[in-house]
Amino acid sequence: MIRNVKHPNLNLMHLIDGPLPPGVISDVVANAGNNTDSGGHSLFVGQVRRDLVDGKYVKAIEYSAYEEMVMSEADKIKKSILSEFDDIKKIEILHSRGVVNAGEISLVVLVSAGHRHDAINACSKTVELIKQKLPIWKKEIFEDNSEQWKENDSL
Amino acid sequence: MDINVIFFGVLTEVTGTTRKHYGNVKSFSDLKHRIEDDFPGIIHYNFRIAVNNEISDGEPVLKEADEVAYLPPFAGG
Repeated sequence: MIRNVKHPNLNLMHLIDGPLPPGVISDVVANAGNNTDSGGHSLFVGQVRRDLVDGKYVKAIEYSAYEEMVMSEADKIKKSILSEFDDIKKIEILHSRGVVNAGEISLVVLVSAGHRHDAINACSKTVELIKQKLPIWKKEIFEDNSEQWKENDSL
Repeated sequence: MDINVIFFGVLTEVTGTTRKHYGNVKSFSDLKHRIEDDFPGIIHYNFRIAVNNEISDGEPVLKEADEVAYLPPFAGG
């Protein structure tokens, strides 16, 4: 189910066409269980929010990505997290590309560590770095089928 | 130099394309001006430049066959 695009041995960053099926969550947790030296996994699941913008509701988001650079930047995120936190055993990021409807999942981040504090804090930091560093763009599609490019709040 | 330029996000709509090849490029400044001549609307947008997948904050020194990417502000997640 999970397709690794460029770095088959890295097992870190996956770009998936369309919404992430909720089943990928159990897949990544099951995969993470292979690291028996982990004491916990922290999981972030991002979904498309039905925002109200200028009187119109968001129906879906269309994601596009600079794939090669997503892979190289994800590698840098991993190195940064490994240097900042102790005892990280696994980092896995799944991000959608293409159209994802409101209420569907567009991002799954799993970080495993020896102990809970590092897992939770490193997962939080990884999500922030994903927002800042990954060359991914989104266009909001409204219920009247009009469209608008959207930027993340902070760089 | 031959340089491949790729555009992302809103810039694909501003330029009407995702990639364009430029030949006989003398420098980044030369390339930038040619892109602005081809797509005058681009000057109204914020973007950063990446060369071969690496963000370049200054004026990059280009070499033959480099890939130059025009990147609007990121919006992942």
